[in-house]
Amino acid sequence: MSHDRTVSGALSPRRPVVWHGMRGIASVPSYVIMQPTTLCNLDCAYCYLPFRAADRKMPVAVASAVADTVNRWAAGTERFSVVWHAGEPLAAGRAHLGALMAPFRGVEHHIQTNATLIDDAWCDFFIEHDVRIGVSIDGDAARTASRVDRAGRPAYDKIQKGIETLRRRAIPFAALCVVSAPTAGLGTELYAFFRDLGCHALGVNVEEQEGVNARSNAFDANDVRGFWAELTAAWRADPAIELREIEWALWFASNAIDGTADDLLPRRIDPIPTIAHDGSVVLLSPELAGFRDGRYGDFASGNVTEASLDQLVDRATDRPDGWIAEYLSGVEECRRSCAYFGFCGGAHAANRYFEQGSFAGTETNHCRNSKIRLIEGVLDYARAQ
Amino acid sequence: MPEPSDPLSERLAAAPGLPTLLAEARATWLARAERAVEAPAATGAAAEHDVDAAREKAPAGRGGEPSVRARPSTPRWRAFEDAFPTFYQFTNRPRG
Repeated sequence: MSHDRTVSGALSPRRPVVWHGMRGIASVPSYVIMQPTTLCNLDCAYCYLPFRAADRKMPVAVASAVADTVNRWAAGTERFSVVWHAGEPLAAGRAHLGALMAPFRGVEHHIQTNATLIDDAWCDFFIEHDVRIGVSIDGDAARTASRVDRAGRPAYDKIQKGIETLRRRAIPFAALCVVSAPTAGLGTELYAFFRDLGCHALGVNVEEQEGVNARSNAFDANDVRGFWAELTAAWRADPAIELREIEWALWFASNAIDGTADDLLPRRIDPIPTIAHDGSVVLLSPELAGFRDGRYGDFASGNVTEASLDQLVDRATDRPDGWIAEYLSGVEECRRSCAYFGFCGGAHAANRYFEQGSFAGTETNHCRNSKIRLIEGVLDYARAQ
Repeated sequence: MPEPSDPLSERLAAAPGLPTLLAEARATWLARAERAVEAPAATGAAAEHDVDAAREKAPAGRGGEPSVRARPSTPRWRAFEDAFPTFYQFTNRPRG
């Protein structure tokens, strides 16, 4: 695919525009990702996590070290999120997860969970700690078949039981759905399923080739565009739930037509610190945590047991080197070469690395599936009306 | 269906069905925000921010970046960051 080098876009269709967002890395993130344990009680076919069978818990001292910096960051902004993820957070147990959360002040806690362990006691925990819940489920039992336990048994019934508990306790939850094979009819089916599930918001992730998941994500362009077009139609017919990707595409389109699209991307890239169970810090892409490469090392920018988190972030963002510098050059190449940069902000670091073996490349299959064909699918739908 | 190569915004502006679709989307976002203001308990902390937007305050941007003041015409939508703080590495809160 070829694009104009200077994107003709937001301010005037005939005037070349340079997108101004995503230049360099911000010194203060908007959220951190915490790995309370490497363990997951499930063994999903597409999971990217390398140590999910091992129970390596984060020590409270690591969480305290992170909180020393995060509490200062949070005091300086309206919202700051601590996202417990990357392993099944509930597998850490309530007592331990509560102890890990205890040092934090003025933050919003989020948990991304497979829901299989949710019971009334966990619901009490969520309420007590004011936790926002995201549940991972891919549709009905057949669509969720990739989510299995360590014996290979489907996890669907346990997931549904956990969700039913959330609903009974009136705890709002969002849903994240992985689509492994975008096909005709799937968009309509999925939207109806999630509308009935009771989630207030839905995010749709087309399966990615990353981490230990080497399955190809090179899908047929027409299938993917058709999938997003169908989701657009389903949401328009009944916008009962927030449909993340479609609404974001519409929001971008609205701003592009109004000439304000260049304001949408953050001025600088969020460093997204991921703190692994042992305190090591990986910036920009949580999927890189736990991996090692002959060229790039372990991708870590240090460890919070040896330096403060803000020092680690400052060091990496003030003088980027190694893979981070390469990634920044890749973002600039995206800005220069891709007509979709204003919508996308540049290919994600992990997608570049796991698909292309470097961070300097540009358009990935993830870009095609989840950015380019997304907005093209919405356009396809609009044109057909 | 070939991948188009013409600049994106030109095609957005030229898509015949898009203005109607966007008008409906804005109405949905506005109604959603108004419901959140009326029933904050049902939507968690989102309502607080919708109220802020409704009052046309300037919400602080994420990532330590100053955000642009919300315009009176900005739809008061419920920010996805309530549900997906990791979404696309940036906020989708209304910006003017």
